[in-house]
Amino acid sequence: MRLKRFRLIVPVCALLALVFALSSCGDDDGGGGTTAGGATGIPDEFAAPTAAPDDAKKGGDLIVLQEGDIDYMDPGAAYYQVTYTLDFAMFRQLVSWQPDDTADPTPDLATGEPEISDDGKTITFTIQDGIRYAPPLNDRVVTSADIKYAIERTLLPGVPNGYTATYMADVEGLKEAQAAVKKDETTAPEWSGIETPDDQTIVFHLSKPSVEGVLGALSLPISSPVPEEYAKEFDAESPSTYGEHVAFTGPYMVENDSEGKLTGYSPGKEIKLVRNPSWDPDTDWRPAYVDTITVQEGFADPTSASKKILEGSSSISGDFPPSPTVVKEVAQGDKYDPSLMTATPSGGNRYVALNTTEPPFDDINVRKAVIANSDRVALRNTRGGELFGPVMNHFLPPLIPGFEEAGGLNAPEGLDFLQSPTGDPELAAEYMKKAGFESGKCEGSECSITMVGDDAAPGKDTATVFQDQLEQLGFEVNFQPVEHSLMYTKFCSVPSQQPDVCPNVGWIKDCNDPECFFDIPWYGPAINPSNNSNWARLDDPEVNKAIEDARLVTDPEERAQAYGDLDKLVTSKAGVVPWVWDNDVVVRSPDVAGVINLANAFYDLSYTSLKG
Amino acid sequence: MARYIARRVLWGVALLVIVSAVVFVLFYVFPSADPAKLRAGRTANPQLIEQIREQLHLDDPIYVQFWDYMKGVFLHFDFGRSFTSQADVRTIILDRLPATALLVAGSVVIWLMIGLPVGIISAVMRRSLLDRSTMIITLAFISAPVFWLGLVALYLFAQDVGLIHIFPGIGSYLSADTFLAKCESMLLPWMVLAAATAAIYARYLRSSMIDTMSEDYIRTARAKGLPERDVVLRHGVRSAITPIVTLLGLDVGLLLAGNAILTETVFNIPGVGQQIVLSIRRSDLPMIQGIVLFGAFFIIIFNLIVDILYAYLDPRVRYQ
Repeated sequence: MRLKRFRLIVPVCALLALVFALSSCGDDDGGGGTTAGGATGIPDEFAAPTAAPDDAKKGGDLIVLQEGDIDYMDPGAAYYQVTYTLDFAMFRQLVSWQPDDTADPTPDLATGEPEISDDGKTITFTIQDGIRYAPPLNDRVVTSADIKYAIERTLLPGVPNGYTATYMADVEGLKEAQAAVKKDETTAPEWSGIETPDDQTIVFHLSKPSVEGVLGALSLPISSPVPEEYAKEFDAESPSTYGEHVAFTGPYMVENDSEGKLTGYSPGKEIKLVRNPSWDPDTDWRPAYVDTITVQEGFADPTSASKKILEGSSSISGDFPPSPTVVKEVAQGDKYDPSLMTATPSGGNRYVALNTTEPPFDDINVRKAVIANSDRVALRNTRGGELFGPVMNHFLPPLIPGFEEAGGLNAPEGLDFLQSPTGDPELAAEYMKKAGFESGKCEGSECSITMVGDDAAPGKDTATVFQDQLEQLGFEVNFQPVEHSLMYTKFCSVPSQQPDVCPNVGWIKDCNDPECFFDIPWYGPAINPSNNSNWARLDDPEVNKAIEDARLVTDPEERAQAYGDLDKLVTSKAGVVPWVWDNDVVVRSPDVAGVINLANAFYDLSYTSLKG
Repeated sequence: MARYIARRVLWGVALLVIVSAVVFVLFYVFPSADPAKLRAGRTANPQLIEQIREQLHLDDPIYVQFWDYMKGVFLHFDFGRSFTSQADVRTIILDRLPATALLVAGSVVIWLMIGLPVGIISAVMRRSLLDRSTMIITLAFISAPVFWLGLVALYLFAQDVGLIHIFPGIGSYLSADTFLAKCESMLLPWMVLAAATAAIYARYLRSSMIDTMSEDYIRTARAKGLPERDVVLRHGVRSAITPIVTLLGLDVGLLLAGNAILTETVFNIPGVGQQIVLSIRRSDLPMIQGIVLFGAFFIIIFNLIVDILYAYLDPRVRYQ
């Protein structure tokens, strides 16, 4: 769906070891590790630095150039990747993500790791004492009740949070809390499964031992404290206006007035972050090098915006990738230093979904023929080339547990239709014959198919290239290009309106645990009448059971193996044509020592500094 | 005159209501992304979507939604809240209006300063080399799309990405703190926006002047021995410029209404035009509606001003 949204749930696999193993390449700034090499397919010169240089300096004004805006300033509603980039610098959560964290988040407001009961149904956190809010609430100390309220308020319809009810579904009392909201939509409900026995303790009671999902949700901005007595008047409005009066706890805050109203945020235009005078560095691991961070929005042309960054000073890119022209110029190294550009696995993938419920794609041999025939390198190149990601061969992306077990960068063994990334027309013809098409090409009325895709580059380019590939196999394609959001909300995500082919869909990590890559896009019972994200509409009993079984595996190694096997199984069903594991490509000015947060695949604003 | 203005204002209000109704109908009749689904996100279930639909009042009948909106606008000057950012629509528009106003004001000055003299001189020196060359140049500027001209100007003359570092570059308005700095950041956008319009005005005025200068009263003025400068400026231009004033009123109204979309987008000027692009892409009806209403308001106001100006420019026009 929207590829710049993500969530992170605490994984249970020791991926961190893998990351460190890959971090042998030093970055140009003389700082810590990078992520590069075989497992990611990213060339060393573009590897993401994950530590600040040893001589990083404090001070200076950092500028972030963006095309669009954040989704919500309210941490309870935030969901976009670029919003998390700011949130990680503005809010302290129970646990949060240091730049090189990919497996486990680091305790933040929490004093240490949570206590988990033996039966796996109770999670207890102790939080630090003496953490204060930013002005004008600087006399107010954060308590565990603030975190409880922050989570409860996300059930209000005025705080459009899309994930609390999904990943915290097993916290006791959710249904009662949701029922209370139905009766009163302006007051955050009491959630009985969350207890705060004292100001420093918060306890989560679960109905099932599904600790991973809950811990993962708590590593996101919903566990950023919200003082109830301050926020409830804003939450009583529908929609909540708390986003205009946010209470900050991180090293940075948006400029505000004496009433707490944000003055430094002009939606779609600019966000001005300054240091939070209440923030105590002794209680935090964030170095917070720069003095101010200004997000300037509206840079619609990625070429000129990227050049402005590369030729200017103190600037980094935000939500847009550099254009292919700029990528080429930087990669050549003649005009710009290649180290000014970095690529990071985004934890997302892109594929062409084939509607497995209707002819001709209800026949697995036809689907295999389409995949075998596809030149997936050509599809990937429509995004800008190799740096934007390796050709996708199965579902789990690099750095996610189960990726290596499923085949790493290669196609799973035994799946012949995926072995040639540039296409194998002879094999495709064989599969078409198996499907009953003697000529090796699709013939007959069922071969007139519909395809709905993007109406603008690069999505439209991908769709057009794929249309050609389908026509090579004999299909007559009626391609309807529409606006990207319309493609989802009116066609590809609405089963009753779904075309035969959706060429511009994809999935980005909701979390770093492999569970988050299957529960929605491949689990049959999760197919929705609208906002459906199982675009292949694969409702296969074998796959469904494997997904249910894998959820219960808790040992990290066994879990990675279980999800690797599940990935192979899903891939063998040939519901989609996989073509790229996305990388996020970013650029910076020469005087910026950029640090990437691997969990978010963007710059970490608390670790990025200015040179000299 | 007062009765005429009052009548026009009343018509203007009626027109604003009609424009709002048309936008509402367009939004519902033609395919557009469902704001509730967009807001619900990719893991949303039907219940959540329905809850959001209720919260945004999208489940109300269209006439109820329209009536509530009109009440808010006309009774409380409240344009509602953005479906996507939840920000106050009026605040956002008023926040973006100064940038658009500055862009429009500067470019109007430039295109009038260039377009009018060129048009007059070309008409007076009809068929001369100067006339022919200026007409060719104006045709080139009219043919050049604004976004192309803007990008070429940036890559040639911008201080950040240009070959010759002369003018402040892309996004410089965002960094400008003072009024003078904002004006400086607008130099390139002003020239780009003014280029095509100045060319149109020059050609239009030339044509109008040629017609006017062949009128009998011009011959009479010359026969009476008036100096040629007075004949041209006092009798010729005053009459020929009336259609230009009409054009000016429309152009200024349209640009303030967001028609400077391309210039604002290329140079990243946080104006109304840029906002309407964002809003359309996000199916943000309250924001689209607010900007359309503001735009319609400006078009109506500037048309009224033009009509009043007519009376002063052309003695034959008097409003009863």
